[in-house]
This record gives sequence, structure tokens and C-alpha cells, in this order.
Amino acid sequence: MSSVKLVGLDFGTTTSCAVVASAQMTRSAVSGRVELTEITEDYRSEMIFTPLGAHGSLDVRSIETHLDSWLKAGTVRPDEVFGGGALLTGLTAQSANAAALVELIRRRLGDALVATADDPCLESWLAFMGTCAGLSRSRPNLAILNLDIGGGTTNIALGRAGEVERTGCLFVGARHVQVVPGTYRIARLSRYAAALLEHLGIRKGPEDALSRAEVDAVLDFYCGLLEATVLGQSEKLADPVAHLHEQVRFRMRPVAELAVTFSGGVGELLYAHVQGKPWPATTSFGDLGIDLAQRLAQAPFWRTHLAHFQPASAGRATVYGLLRHGTEISGSTLYLPTPNVLPLPDLPILGTVSPDSTDEEVQTIVNLVLRSRRGGCIRVELSPEAGQAASPPAAALREMGGRLAGAFKSSCFPPGHPVVLLLRDNAGKTLGHYATAWGALPLSLVVVDEVAVRDAQYLHIGRPRDQVVPVSYYGLLGETL
Amino acid sequence: VKTLTPLAAIPVPEPKPEEAYRTRVADREITFRGLKSLLGAADYSKAGDRNAGLAAASETVREAARGILSGLTLQHLYEHPLTDDQGRVDSVMRVNYDVDREAFAAVAPMTLGQLKDCLLRSPGAEVARLGRGLTGVMAAAVAKLCDVHELIYIARKISRPSKARTLLGSPGTLSSRIQPNHPTDDLRGVSLLCYWGLSVGGGDALIGLNPAVDTVDNVAAILRHLDALRRRTGAPTQICVLAHIKTQLACLKRGAPVEILFQSLAGTERTNLLEFDINVDLLDEGYRTVAREGPLAGLAEQFMYFETGQGSEFTYGKHNGIDMTTTEALTYGLARRYDPYMVNNVTGFIGPETHKDSFEMVLANLQDHFMGKLLGLPMGMAPCYTLHSDITLEGQQMASELVAAAGANYYMDVCLNIDRMLAYFDTSGHDNQTLREVYGRLPAPEFLDWALERGIYTKNAAGAVERGPNWGNPSQFCDSNAEFQELVSATPASYGFASAGPRPADKVSRLVKINQGIGREAIHAELRIEELRRIAPFRLVTTQATSKDAHLGSPDLGAHLSPESRAELRPEHKQVQIVVSDGLSAEAVHHNMKDLMPVLQDGLAGRGWSCGQPILARHGRVKLAEEIADVTDAELIIYLIGERPGGDAQASRSLSAYLVYRLGKPLASGPQSNGSGAARFEYTVISNIYSGGLPPTEAGGVIVERVGDILKHKAAGNRLEAALKANA
Repeated sequence: MSSVKLVGLDFGTTTSCAVVASAQMTRSAVSGRVELTEITEDYRSEMIFTPLGAHGSLDVRSIETHLDSWLKAGTVRPDEVFGGGALLTGLTAQSANAAALVELIRRRLGDALVATADDPCLESWLAFMGTCAGLSRSRPNLAILNLDIGGGTTNIALGRAGEVERTGCLFVGARHVQVVPGTYRIARLSRYAAALLEHLGIRKGPEDALSRAEVDAVLDFYCGLLEATVLGQSEKLADPVAHLHEQVRFRMRPVAELAVTFSGGVGELLYAHVQGKPWPATTSFGDLGIDLAQRLAQAPFWRTHLAHFQPASAGRATVYGLLRHGTEISGSTLYLPTPNVLPLPDLPILGTVSPDSTDEEVQTIVNLVLRSRRGGCIRVELSPEAGQAASPPAAALREMGGRLAGAFKSSCFPPGHPVVLLLRDNAGKTLGHYATAWGALPLSLVVVDEVAVRDAQYLHIGRPRDQVVPVSYYGLLGETL
Repeated sequence: VKTLTPLAAIPVPEPKPEEAYRTRVADREITFRGLKSLLGAADYSKAGDRNAGLAAASETVREAARGILSGLTLQHLYEHPLTDDQGRVDSVMRVNYDVDREAFAAVAPMTLGQLKDCLLRSPGAEVARLGRGLTGVMAAAVAKLCDVHELIYIARKISRPSKARTLLGSPGTLSSRIQPNHPTDDLRGVSLLCYWGLSVGGGDALIGLNPAVDTVDNVAAILRHLDALRRRTGAPTQICVLAHIKTQLACLKRGAPVEILFQSLAGTERTNLLEFDINVDLLDEGYRTVAREGPLAGLAEQFMYFETGQGSEFTYGKHNGIDMTTTEALTYGLARRYDPYMVNNVTGFIGPETHKDSFEMVLANLQDHFMGKLLGLPMGMAPCYTLHSDITLEGQQMASELVAAAGANYYMDVCLNIDRMLAYFDTSGHDNQTLREVYGRLPAPEFLDWALERGIYTKNAAGAVERGPNWGNPSQFCDSNAEFQELVSATPASYGFASAGPRPADKVSRLVKINQGIGREAIHAELRIEELRRIAPFRLVTTQATSKDAHLGSPDLGAHLSPESRAELRPEHKQVQIVVSDGLSAEAVHHNMKDLMPVLQDGLAGRGWSCGQPILARHGRVKLAEEIADVTDAELIIYLIGERPGGDAQASRSLSAYLVYRLGKPLASGPQSNGSGAARFEYTVISNIYSGGLPPTEAGGVIVERVGDILKHKAAGNRLEAALKANA
């Protein structure tokens, strides 16, 4: 099958980078599905400090220069990009002009890949997949909790057998307290750090130097928060300052055997230390990242985990996650009578229908799609649980397809309005036929099958290639993905 | 590079009118009209020769034929070249006459009986020398006079080594070709099967893959991958992708590493030309090109690899009235022209129409090995079977033991005996190691050094080579367990890598055998007509195959309606007619119809196409669709038929949908038509319909959509694909 191009762009609190890769689309003889294999890195940019302007906003013009040089060096043509994604993460995503950067990326790369900001659960998911998906698949009975500790956030994901089960996010990171390199003199404080210092009774701000004891107090708080999260000690997260540091609450569940892995900039420092490399000089990155890594490496609780498992790509987990896992590939018998309706970017996912849904509920969701300016997606759940059935029985498809057709008909659904049905079963073609009454209803319908139906707000469907389409979710919700 | 004798310079006697060969046996006169008839009757009875009307009717007749043959001189055979159906000496026969004249002169006055005795009495080097003076017909004739011990004893004396990176076939060695076939050429699965083979000491002859897709792009990509694996592991061996010779030459031209050039061969010119799309000129060009321009030029002494097997000429109906053993020997006479590095024989691959059971397959393998070695070839063997024959794993193992005793140069290494792409069963790495230990054989010397270094083998205190700590551990070639697991996840029929001594661990063997058992049961099951009639209002038709045995053993019978059914069917002038048949798996029908038929019927009705009452055909083959289309005057047949089961129990429930479009007027041959000659029907195929592949409910939607395309464009197959591409 053919070769495709993937692009991953990560704009984090501290650093930004790009990776461009080629991959082969291969049909698995075991699953029958098309998969991306032989992912080969064609280009990897230097890690740059995310350019900042005045008052902590992004220096979009400078980023534009970097972006253009990356795309040129990676010989990326927008029309040949099949998947991947661009993510603004951590404090960068919360910058006032984050939207301008998203717009810039879309101008450069068109609808080829999803570009999104402030999507912490997606970041957690991607970091897990980029760090330890292979490890997790090879140890399917082992629960793995990945902590992606970057400049602004710690993205948490718990997974097993290569699948993420739940995610969360804390405002714990290296760069909340920025200092003059080589010293502990404060250069800038995030609003979370300012609140923390106040909570700790440290009345200091920019230009003041933190004492060793004060630095330790900050690190104690961060490590305590991380430990309480991993151990599921929700009572320790109850006080207002701890609560302020929770972006998305992570709810740990009991597991028989747990491994903890690290990624992000702090994770990279930790594993370099485990491999015997010396620590960088004191605050040489102008933040507390090195100190946080040292504190974690010294604590017996974390040290055990560090010694046991050393995942791949710790420092660039998000971008590798984007590259390898940010895009899913549909089944190859999707319902797509008019391929030129694709790509369909930024489609809202508006609800779920199942055999238990009433006719009124089905009609309500169809009406929501009708009222959505861009059209929309409906999740269709036919088999009770993921992986339980390759395809639902003919009677179930006929029934569900007939009810959808009835709803489309009674709402006088207009022909050009995009509507996408998503399902995990291999039944897209036949469901599409039934839902259009075997072509009698002139709908602009796409049925994408054999994809994980995630709890997300938006969906991005790329152009078809070799009878499949790339699908990316963003705006992930909930704890169970 | 060997100088090839121009065809015109090879002297061949003029064909003569058929002689009558007569003898008296216990007051009974037995006559054979012509040499072809005599040779056919003198052989062990095998299904292909019985189906061709060539086998002797009884043991008495067979022994009578052998008696006559035994008294004929080699000179007589020389002077009576076998001809094709037009009375011509074809190019394959002509090449067979390119013999060592001095050696032939020594045996020409001998009778075949005397020649056999001479071969039994002579030392190996003399046997090898005399063999180069024989044509294929002569080698086949003497093989027919040999019993099992003689086929083994004579062949065992002949050494036919060949050399590329490794030295193959030297005394005391038994080598293997890793055959890492994968149904979709998934390079991850290919890697795993190569790693497995190398870890059990296999692959010293070759790493050779039969591609699922024979295109220059795909074959070049696989060649590069195999080359990378060879370099990564450091294994001293050579690589090959067994694509068509034209594809490989195009790959070589593009710079892909075509180290050994492969081609399937047959023993008649018509089979080679019309079925394999090759002739002697093309083979000559291929040999010269790879020897001069291939990566092993200047390093190897041989460059060609041929695959053969009894019965292909008969299966294609192009055997020129010659029996299977003789056409096989003629193939060897053709292969000998190119001094090949490897020749391997896959007798048993075709099915019960050529070799019905283990006995026929075992004897054929011994004959083939004997004839190949005698004629001068470095013979490797692949005793094999399909589930629709009565050959069993145990029968195949008996063949392997006997041919190893006879001194085969190498075997195939097909992981756990299951070819995941070709759905048949061959020798395995476990088998090869078992035979090495039973017969005291070692891998090729260069490869052995490498395997000792890797701990795949080790030397004991007495200096004897034994399995080492890394024997049977394919993950030793991976960087991580995660990498290994990914390779495993891409490989069907991964039943485990645990071993017990040189054999698979029992838990692995049990999985292999239960999957085969289920597959075989699916083939022999009969359609449950009443159960199927509860799903759809089927009308039943029968074919000329009146029993399951007849259906499996004579494919042509299932391609035609029985006279009664033909009389019952009338022209109905419908657009679409559904036909369901057991084919080679009635269970595939039983497992899929419940979900497939309702969707199909809803779709055909929803689209408003006129349809005939569904037909259920017992003991049908694919070609039956054409006759039903003609008799009912249907524009399109949706023919749902059970596929031949392989080594996966679930896949033995796999159904194919052949969409057979009847052309208004026949298409002349050309690039846009399907196949050679004027085409009356075009086929679009949707395969792998079962719960683990394309689920039956989804298949219904796919079939309806494709029927719409065919009716709209009035084309199927290649023409439809071209039309859809043009519209995209």
C-alpha cells in the first residue's frame, strides 16, 4: 500500500519542536485493518524555547519563522500530510494569543491535521501513547501510570494493554517559578505559583531570591500533590491551593500491579540521571525543573519505579504521541458515496444513539446535527462493549439504520449538510446503506467504522487514501476514554 | 556464466508414428498404443494420471507396461521424442535433448532395466555422470521401474552441490529455505517468520518469499526488506522474492537486490507459455542478466531457482497426453539448462485432482527427488498438502523422512507447517532440525559458523554440534520485547514458539492440529439444505459431481450442471441472480448466510434490480456461475462460495463473493480484457467474508454497492477498476 506523511508540532510551556515522519499504510492480516507501519522519522527539529513576547504572551511572529523553517526542512507539502497534529500545551495553551497560533498553523497546513490548544486530556492520552504504548502492550496485565511533567502541567494517564483508561491534569511543572539561570532569584511567577507562595507564607516576588528552604517547600508541595494523585489520596487534594492546581481531576483506581513512568522535560532529566548522566548546572534552564527532577529521583517512592521501566521518547512524548497515535485510521469499507465531501475538519460530536435510544432521542440528535452550522457527528453504539463483536447482526443494523433513515426523513435533512456516523464495529457500509434507505435519501452522509469511539467534543476527518480515512479527536472529555 | 546451447543447435530425431507395444501376461495380450500410453501405465497409480486416462487399470496392466519398458533401449527412447498435441517437438522437449553426448553413448544400447541395474551397481560419481546423458523421458522411465528402496538408494549416492554465499548440498548437510509468506506481505510478519527460521538454524539455503502482490514496487520493497534483515542478523545466506521472472528483472533493473532469480517451470511449452508466461528465450535472458549483473555476480557459481511439482501441466489441461512423472522429469531437463542453485519440488500442492492421498504423494516425492538428482539438479524437497486432499501431516512427515534418507539438499522452513499466504502445509523448521538430528546432518558450513557464534548451535565436549541456548528464540533478533510483540501481532496463526527438543511443544502442536481438523471438517461437510431454506427461499441445483469425493477429486465436474438441473432451469432474463455453493467449505456457507442474505436481499430490493429466486448449488465450483448465467440469461451472478480452508479454524469459515458479469458480446484479448482469448465473462471478487475478516453483514453492503457499479458501467474485473479509477 502507499506511503504517507505525518507531522507532529508541540508548543509547550518551556519548549517547542516539530517531527516529520513517513509511514507505510499496511493491511494487517490478523485484524484485517489498515495500520500505519514502518514509521520513519524524516526530520526532527531542534528543541527551541517557546518564543514569548511581552507579559507572557506568545511571540507568534517568531514562532512563524520557526514553523516555516521546520516545514521547509521537513519538505512538508500540506496536500501530502495524512495525519499527526499540532498541540499547544501547558501554559502556552493559556496564553492570551494562543488562538492566533492555532490560526497560523491552520493557514500553513490547511485541513490536513488537527490543531488545538488547551486540551489537557488529549495531551495526557498522547503522552501515554507516545511514552509507553509499546511497553503497555507487551505487559498487558500491568497498569501503567504516566506522568508527563512539562513546564506548566503534569498530564496524567493510567492505561493497560496499550489503552488509556483515565486521564487528569495538574498545574505542576518546571516553569511556574522562573528564575535567573544559576540562581534562585525569581524572574516571573505564574498565577498558580503566586498563590502557592502565598499559601506557604513566602512573601516574595520577581527580583527576590528564594532560600533553599523555600525552594524545598515548593518542591515538597509539588511532590506531595503528585504522590497523593498516584495513591488516590483525594483528601490531600481538598485544600484550596491544591484544588487550584487541579486542571482536570484524576481519579486513581485500585490496581494489582502498578508501574509509573515519566515523560516531558522533567521525565527526560530523570531517565538521563538513571542512565548515569550528570545533572545540569543549578537552574540552568531558568526554572525549577532540575530541582523537581532531583527531588523525585531522591524519593524512595519514585526511585523504585524509575529503576524498573525506562520508556521510549520521554522528552518528546507528546509530539511522538501525536505522530503515532494522534490519527486513527478508519476501516476500509466505510460509507462514503461522494469522497470529495472530505476533509471535514472540526465537526462537533453531538451525541450517541444505541438500540436503547428512543425514537425521540434519535430524532433530537439528528435535529442537533441539522442545526449545527458545520454539520456534526453521531456516535452509534451497536455492540455492548469495545472488542466484543466484529459486527452486529443483520437485524440490529437494519433496525438502527431504519430508525436513522426515519429521523433524517422526518427532519427533511438537507442533501448538502454534512452528517457523520461513527462506530467501532465493522459495519459502516451497510449501516450507511440502511440509513439512506439504500440510496433513496439524498444525504451527505459519511459512516466511519472501526474507530475507537472516544468521549470527545470534536472530530477531524481527513481525505481518503487507499479506501480509508484518517480520523483525529480533540477536546477529549471524561475520565474513561 | 554457462554458455547456453542455441535451441536450433540441439539435435532431436524426427517424431515417428506411434508404435504399439504388446506383451502377453497369463494368456492375455496387453497392448499400449504409443510411448505416452506405455509410460503412463507403467507408473504408480496417481489421481492426475487416472483423471487423464493414463493410469493402468490394474496392477497386472501396470506390471505389463513396466515389463515392456524395462526391455526398451535408451536409444529407442531417444529416437521417439514425445510430441505435443499438434505432433510437434516443443521447446521443452528440445532442451531435454541437450545432453552430455559421451554419457549418452555409454548408456544408449542398454535397456532401461539394464540401466537401473547399472545405477544400482555403480558408485555415486558414475551415476551422476551417466545422469547428465539422459533426457527427462529416460529418467522418468527408469524411475517407474524403481521401488522405494531403489529410489532412495540410487539418489542417495548422487552429490549435486551448488554455491552462492553458502555451499549447498555438500555431503553431511541438510539445509533449508525460510519461506516467510504473509497474506498481505506485511513486513512485520515477514520479519517475525524470518527471525523464527533463523533461530532454528533455518535459511542457510535461502530466505525466499512468495509475494501476495506481484508488482515491481511491492517486490522491490520486499527484496530491500529481506536484504536489510540479512544484513541486520549477519546470517550468511541469500535472498529471493518468488515473483514472476519479468517482475524480478524489472526490480533488478531498478537496483533492487535480486540475488537469486526465481521462476516456476512446467514440462510442456504450452503450460509455460500460456499459464506461466515464459519461454526459453526469456529464461535465457534472465539467466544471463542475473549472472552478469546481479549482486552475486562473481561471487556465486549458480544463480537460478526453479520450483516445480507433478501435475501442473495436467491441471491446466496442457500435458500433451503425457503422464505427470514424465512431464515433471521434462521440467528438470529444462531446469538443467541453467545450472540452477536450487530446484525445489512441491508435489502435493495442487490437491486431490493430482495426488489423492499420502501414498501417492510420498511416492511422487521419491520419484521427483530421484529424477532431479539423476538429471543433475541440486534438488530440495517440499512434501506438502492441502486440506481438501486425503494427505495428512503424518503422510507428509513420512515423505520428509524418506526423502531425507534419499539425500535431499534442503527443505522448506514454513513456520509450524502453515503457509499463511498460500493456505497449504509444508515442511517446517522443527521438521528440518528433527531430520538433521535423525540423519546426522548439519547446516551449510558458512551458516553453521554464524549459528555457533549466535548460540543457536553449540558444540559439546566431544565436538558434536547440538542445539544451543538460543535455538528457537526468535526474539533474539529484536531490540526489545515490545518490538517482538508488534511482529507477533501482525502474524496470523501465531500459535506459539515453545519447543520440546527439536519439535514444537505439545500445546503448540495441539493448536496446529485442531485448526487443521476443523478446516478439513469444513471441506467434507455437506450443505444443510433445510437450514439454509429457512434463511432464504433457495431452489436447489446439482452439478455433475455426484459425490463429495468426485467434487474434490475432479474440479471440472463441479463446473457444470447435472442434466436434470440444466433441464429444470429456464431463461428468466433477470438482472441479478444469487447462487450459493459449498465450493470447498460448506461450513463457510452455514456460518455466513444468516447475516449476509438478509442484507443482500434488502439491498437488491432497495435498489430495485430484478432478481431470480436464489439458487443453492451442491458441489459447485466457481465456473458453474457461467453456465447458470447462460441458462437463466442473467446479466450478473452473485456467486457466494466457500473458500479452501487453510491453517486457521476461523478462516475455514471464509466465503468469497464472485460477481460474474455476462458480457453482451465477447471481448477480444488485450490489456483491457481479463485473461487470454475472447472473454465472455468478467469477474470481480470480494473475498475473506467471515466474522474475523469482512463480516457477513458488512459484506452484504459491499456486494450491493459493487453490483451497482458493475451494472452501471457494464463491466467487471479490470475494466470496472479502470472505469472507477477514471471516474474518481
